[in-house]
Amino acid sequence: MAKVTRRSFVTTVGAASVVPAAALLTATPRAPAEAATAAKTPGDAASGKPVYLFFNADEVLFIEAACERLIPADELGPGALGAAVPNYLDKQLGGAWGAGERLYRSGPWQAGTPSQGYQLPFTPGELFHTCLRAISRDLAANKTPFHEMPADNQDAYLRSLESGAHDLDGVPSGTFFAMLLEMSVEGFFSDPVYGGNRDMVAWRMIGFPGAYADYFEAIDHHGVKFVREPMSLAEDGKGHIHTRQDIPANL
Amino acid sequence: MVQRLKEVDVIVIGVGMVGSIVAKELAAAGYKVVGLERGQTRFTVPEFQSPAIHDELRFDIRKAMMQDNTREPVTFRNLGSQVALPVRRWESFLPGTGLGGSMVHWNGQTYRFQANDFQLATRTRERYGKNFLDADLTIQDWGVTYDDLEPHYDRFEYLLGTSGKAGNIKGRIQPGGDPHESPRSRDYPTPPQKEHFSGAMFRKAASSLGYHPFPQPSSNLSQPYTNPEGMKLNACVFCGFCERYACEHYAKSVPQTVILPVLLANPNFELRTGCQVQRINLDSTKKHATGVSYIDAVGREFEQPASLVISSMFSINNVRMLLLSGIGAPYNPATGQGVVGRNYAYQTMSTVASFFDEDVHINPFMASGASGTLINDFAGDNFDHGGLGFIGGAFIGAVNTNGRPIQYHPVPPGTPNWGKGWKQAVIKHYNHTVMFSLHGSSAAQRQNYLDLDPTYRDAWGQPLLRMTFDFPQNDIKMAAHVTAKAVEIGRAMGAKQVVGSPRKGPYTVTQYQTTHNTGGTVMGDDPKTSVVNRYLQSWDVPNVFVIGASNYPQNASWNPTGTLGALTYWAIDALKNTYLKHPGRLVPA
Amino acid sequence: MNTQRAIPRARCSSSVLLGSIMILAVPCAPAAQTAPQAKPAGTKPAAEAPSAPCEACHGAHGEGMAAAHVPRIAGQSAEYLKKQLDDYADGTRDNPVMTNFAKALSEKQRIKYALQYASMPTLLGPQLKTLNTVQLARGHQLAFQGDERIRVQACNSCHGPDGIGVLHAAPYLAGQSADYIASALKSFQQGTRKNDAGELMRSVAKQLNDADVVAISGYFAQVDISTK
Repeated sequence: MAKVTRRSFVTTVGAASVVPAAALLTATPRAPAEAATAAKTPGDAASGKPVYLFFNADEVLFIEAACERLIPADELGPGALGAAVPNYLDKQLGGAWGAGERLYRSGPWQAGTPSQGYQLPFTPGELFHTCLRAISRDLAANKTPFHEMPADNQDAYLRSLESGAHDLDGVPSGTFFAMLLEMSVEGFFSDPVYGGNRDMVAWRMIGFPGAYADYFEAIDHHGVKFVREPMSLAEDGKGHIHTRQDIPANL
Repeated sequence: MVQRLKEVDVIVIGVGMVGSIVAKELAAAGYKVVGLERGQTRFTVPEFQSPAIHDELRFDIRKAMMQDNTREPVTFRNLGSQVALPVRRWESFLPGTGLGGSMVHWNGQTYRFQANDFQLATRTRERYGKNFLDADLTIQDWGVTYDDLEPHYDRFEYLLGTSGKAGNIKGRIQPGGDPHESPRSRDYPTPPQKEHFSGAMFRKAASSLGYHPFPQPSSNLSQPYTNPEGMKLNACVFCGFCERYACEHYAKSVPQTVILPVLLANPNFELRTGCQVQRINLDSTKKHATGVSYIDAVGREFEQPASLVISSMFSINNVRMLLLSGIGAPYNPATGQGVVGRNYAYQTMSTVASFFDEDVHINPFMASGASGTLINDFAGDNFDHGGLGFIGGAFIGAVNTNGRPIQYHPVPPGTPNWGKGWKQAVIKHYNHTVMFSLHGSSAAQRQNYLDLDPTYRDAWGQPLLRMTFDFPQNDIKMAAHVTAKAVEIGRAMGAKQVVGSPRKGPYTVTQYQTTHNTGGTVMGDDPKTSVVNRYLQSWDVPNVFVIGASNYPQNASWNPTGTLGALTYWAIDALKNTYLKHPGRLVPA
Repeated sequence: MNTQRAIPRARCSSSVLLGSIMILAVPCAPAAQTAPQAKPAGTKPAAEAPSAPCEACHGAHGEGMAAAHVPRIAGQSAEYLKKQLDDYADGTRDNPVMTNFAKALSEKQRIKYALQYASMPTLLGPQLKTLNTVQLARGHQLAFQGDERIRVQACNSCHGPDGIGVLHAAPYLAGQSADYIASALKSFQQGTRKNDAGELMRSVAKQLNDADVVAISGYFAQVDISTK
């Protein structure tokens, strides 16, 4: 039988072809029973809660609730909590990044134009503690802490932070919100080595295959759905992901 | 306590691709060369290995391969009337550092400028009349022609092994290549990389509209290759971790894979890392360099005498070095006098997003940094600008370089910034969107320039470089025009929704665009409007040569690297064949 | 309990997806596993389903025969196995025994047997080969890091953590027969095996000397991923 080359059977999407694939893009559908066999982040078995080193107990309540509103769980999959995004924030803010790694910190300081970017003296860690204190005071006036509000009220409060309606002890609330959102997206989509994207749930939701990436043959299959379990740079051959927060931000 | 070292023939400041090539050629010609690099050594093994290198947070977001901005950022303002403030985190452009420089972590997009670009002022006047350009633009001719540089483009492409398809060989148009390109003497050293699905869709759509799509020239190689230096490269596997990352497979053309081992094996060359050059030292006449002063990683200061100094750093750092050293008159925008820092330009980037149904699988994560499909029909002066009110243009292409999710998760307009709606849109569109890159030229104008900041200093106590820049109106108009054309291509691809995002002002340092900073040590025939002559020799200090994109009088529609490689070999010819035999001015002042 | 995790990414239930064109699903337990002993060529079993012709050498459980350089194929990527059969049949991979077998199989049969062996679990443990500590260290270095002097990147970058394989990219090496890995590297070196797209394996193999071939093949053979 004539050899079917890869290119010869790549037809436009939707064309009917009964020639069996010359290459089988073998799918591994994630039946619920298989969830247990995917690569796993250690340390979550018992309570599923991270050990917080940077956030104090009150801050944890706000951060967990706020992150979950930014990236909520829904029918498509886990949200920030399920992906351990607060854990990511905690470890980054408590580590070298939070202490000011890769930030030019000399003065003098002035606000500048939007084109000129961040100009405050705070390190990320200082900024979070300052703003969370201010938010806590702000909400104490309402007598309802953030994590006890109904979701709609939480969203309304977050939107008011986002719009810059609050001054958080000198930090425009929009600056704080932008950093919170940015770090939440990082925590959702970064490699699980950093303590977020637990068990690569976020990668699985979008179909990003992760750190092992050789597509020399697969790239020929135009339009074909590529299905492969995502892979972390920190997993070993037995499916354990070894988290680390001490990877330096310089080569 | 400054230690004075034994004199050498040549100092190369910055051991990136330019510095590596210059050092290799001069060391091979018998000269004693010292290369001073402020960063550290690194090689494919172990520093570039995967899976560790495939870490988006570390390399994309935290910028692990970039210049240490905690010690040496720049300051920035849009307008001279504003106060420049430090760029406290790199975003818009990402200067590299370390052995091999920025080309360790480039995307591999390798272009030639067109003949028209090198005489842009003359040809624009000829074609469109004297009064066509906005009054503030300071467009200039280069002092060299495309024909001068063609053999050097060829040499650089064969050093790299660039993968592509020629469009014009000695005047004969080649099917499948770019018919707009200026003539080349032969085809690329390796054939084009495989086409991505998005490129195939783009190609069909662009052809249907009468345009001329061609494969993006890529220095992520399509197949194994041995270059004229005897260095072997492998085929790129489309891992999708190209720009901001180093290549684990010896498949990207970087100094470590194309030339450094040859350089490092030559005993005429000495590499010193961790050395921050403070200034080029001049004698009492101020017309002759005696060497450089630098501070090493331990904080000790050295004076290294030399007969010849080559400034081959990242472009803006070349400008700063001349300013700190007092070489050439600094540019004053108020008076229009002076040249160092003048004609700073950038790149005018726009995008088009085409959203498809969920049964169209784009797989953006399969990519090299240069496996796109492009048209040059709206680049440079390839189309009639009569009546349009601007010059310049952009290449338009389906340039899918990655699907790394922290930064790449396209959503249609109207999607909320966060919450359930955002998350659902991200999941819905991640694998079903094609992004076009519109890579536009950048005109020079009198208000855009570089100088030294009066307030902020680096960790060594030296003034930071101050950047004053905003997009000329010329380029904003250009961006709007080419974006509208690109949107039509997106529609011809059959997308459900096509969204054009033309570049609008003001320029902001908070959003990544490119690291194509050009100008400031402009080359030319007239010392009143240039810093170096056509051989890249300083008009003021003849034993100083400056090689970098800082020499470009304005920036063209394509990535600057290919032209920089050509200029490097062009300058090396002048150095080896003329200057070093008879040191002195190569061009009368 | 996580033994399933010991196998490379191709799992029991395999589907072929080709956009909206076609989907084939193959159940987990292929019928052919009921006939374990090798049969003489040409003999048809009486009432059972025919055993795969692969069994005679590769074994009913895909365990292979290390001494004869016959690789373990249990749990190997179905796509990879199918490609090797195609390549044996058209000569881009050259082995007199396999060429005959592959040519005799129809397209449908190649897919069937590839899926069959891909679905077999790898609970087979490492295939130990005597290496001294220097050789093991060298093998480990090449697997995880590569070597700049010979310009070779880390094997694991394509072959996965501990060499367990990466679907659609590279087959597993962990627990594979050392002699088989060595013979594969040799055929890439000599150019008798040319079915590596982009010459990715030929480029690497040509840089390895004999000692490195011994070190790498012995290293991967002894990688034990069969237990948690």
